[in-house]
Amino acid sequence: MSDQLLDRPPELVVKVEAGEATARKTASRRKMRQTAFIVAGWIAMVLVWEFGSWWFGARILPRPHEVVLEMGEILGNGNFASDFTASVLKTFAGFGVAAAVGAPIGYLMGRYGYWRAFFHDGVTIAGTIPAIVYAVMSLIVFGLSNLGPILAVALVSAPYVALNVAEGIRGVDKSLITMSEAFGRSAKQIRREVLIPTIVPFVFAAIRMCFAVAWKVEALTEVFGGRNGVGFQIRTEYQLYSISGVLAWMFLFIAFMLVIERLVLAKAEARLLAWRPEERSTAL
Amino acid sequence: MSTVIENRRRSTTEIAESTPEWKRRLTSDTAARLTAGISFFLFWLVVAAVFTRVPGPVEVVQRLGDEFARGEVFGNFGVTLYRFGVGVALATVFGIVIGVMMGLSKLSRAFFESPVLVGLSIPAIIWSFLTVMWFGFGDTSPIVTTFLTAVPFVIINVAQGVRGVSRDLRDMSSTYQVPLLRRMRDLVLPAVTGYVAAGIRFAVIIGWNGVLLAEWFGGSGGVGYRARFWYDANRYGGFAAWVVLFVGFIVILDRLVLDRAISRAFRWRDNSA
Repeated sequence: MSDQLLDRPPELVVKVEAGEATARKTASRRKMRQTAFIVAGWIAMVLVWEFGSWWFGARILPRPHEVVLEMGEILGNGNFASDFTASVLKTFAGFGVAAAVGAPIGYLMGRYGYWRAFFHDGVTIAGTIPAIVYAVMSLIVFGLSNLGPILAVALVSAPYVALNVAEGIRGVDKSLITMSEAFGRSAKQIRREVLIPTIVPFVFAAIRMCFAVAWKVEALTEVFGGRNGVGFQIRTEYQLYSISGVLAWMFLFIAFMLVIERLVLAKAEARLLAWRPEERSTAL
Repeated sequence: MSTVIENRRRSTTEIAESTPEWKRRLTSDTAARLTAGISFFLFWLVVAAVFTRVPGPVEVVQRLGDEFARGEVFGNFGVTLYRFGVGVALATVFGIVIGVMMGLSKLSRAFFESPVLVGLSIPAIIWSFLTVMWFGFGDTSPIVTTFLTAVPFVIINVAQGVRGVSRDLRDMSSTYQVPLLRRMRDLVLPAVTGYVAAGIRFAVIIGWNGVLLAEWFGGSGGVGYRARFWYDANRYGGFAAWVVLFVGFIVILDRLVLDRAISRAFRWRDNSA
C-alpha cells in the first residue's frame, strides 16, 4: 500500500491533500449544522412554551421569564441549598442501603443457581411496581420522617444493584478463578481479590443507571410526607396553587439531576474504573 | 494429600449423582421459587408484627373481599383503564412518529434531542400537579399525565430501533431496486417492531405510575382515587388491598402480555444470535 502511495506522481498527492481539506471542511460544516439544530431544539421549546402561555393565558402557564425570575428568587433566598442538600443526602443514604442489601443478593444470584431462582421473581417484579407504591408504603412504615425517603430509594434501587452485580459476577473471567484455584488460593482470597473488584464497578454502574429513577422517587416520597427537601417544596407550591413555583422547582430539579449525573457520578465512576484501562475510555 | 485432591476433583455429574433425590428436589428451581414466596410471606408477617401500622396479610385479604363486595373494584378499574389506554395509545402514536424521524435523519435527532432529554427528566408527580392545575378534576388530567410521562420512553426506543436498521442491507436493497413496500415489510418492520414493543412496555410501566398519581391528586374516581380514599381515612388495610390490585395488574400485564410480545418480536434476532 505505502509503495503505491510513494509511487504516485506529485500532482496526485496534492490532489489527495486538497481532498482531505474539503473533507475536513464538510465535516466541520456538518458539525456546525448539527449544533445549530440542537440550539434550534432549545429555541423551539421556549417558543412552544411562549405560545402556550399566550394561548392559555399567563395565569395558567406563566411565561418563561417569569419562571426564570422565580428560580432566581429560590436560589437567592437560600431555600435551594438546604432543601437540595437534604434531598441529596437522603438519596445517597438510600443508595448506601441499596448497595449493602443488593450487592450480596446479586453475588448469590450470580454464583449459585438456587439463589438465582430464589430471587429472580422478586427482583423482576420489583422493577414493575409503580413508584407511588414505594413512596406511600415507606410513609406507612416510617411515618413523617427522613427514613421514609431513604427506604423508598433503597427499595427502588436495590433490584437494579442486584441484577447488575449478578450480571457482573457471571461475567467474571472464569480463567482467573481457575488459575487462582490451581495456585491453591483460598476461597476467601478469591472472593477478596477477584470477585469483589469485579463487583464494585457494577454496583456503581447500577447506581448511575438508576439515579434518575431514585431521585424522582425520593422527591415523590417527600411530596407525600416530607418536612424538607425538594419534593416538600414542590408540594407547598402546589398547595399555594402557584404554577410558576412548581415550574421553577421543576427546572431546578432537572438541572440538579443532570449536574449530579453528568459531573459527580460520571467522574466518580471514571475514577473507580481507572484501574481497568479498557473501561476508562468509555466511562469518560 | 491425595485424598484431598480426589475429593476436590469430582466431576459435576459425579456430584449430581451422589446427591440424594430429596436434596436435589429441594434445590430445584421450582422449590427455590416456592421458598421465595413463603419467605416473602413470613417477612410480611414479621414486618406487620413489628410496625403496627403495616397491615398483615389477613387484614388485606379481608379488605380486598370488602371492596369486591361493595362493587368498587370493577367500576374504578374501568375508569382507570380507559384513561390509561387512551394515554398509552397517544404516547405510542406520537412516540413512533417522532422516533422514526429521529432515527432517519441526524438533524432531526439533534433537534429533538434536548426536548426528549428534558421530558425524560420531568417526574410524573410534576405532570400530575400541573395537569390537575390546568385541567381540573376529570378524565383529561390523567390522560395527559400518562401521555406526557410515557412518550419520551417510546421515542428513544423507536429512534434506536430505526437507527439500528442495517445500513448495508439498506444500501443493497436500493442497489437492487427492491420496491419500497417490500423493503418496509422485509427490512424495516422486523428490525423496528422489537424496539417499538420494548418502548410500549416502558410506556405501560411508566404510564401506569403516571395515571395512578394523577388520579391520586385529581379526585375524580379511578383506582388511584380509591387508594387515596383509604389512605386519607388512615385505613391502611384498604390501601394495601388496592396496592395488591394495581401491582397485580401491572405484573400480569407485563409478564403475560408484554414480555411474550417482545420475545416474539425479537425472535428473529435471538434465534440467529
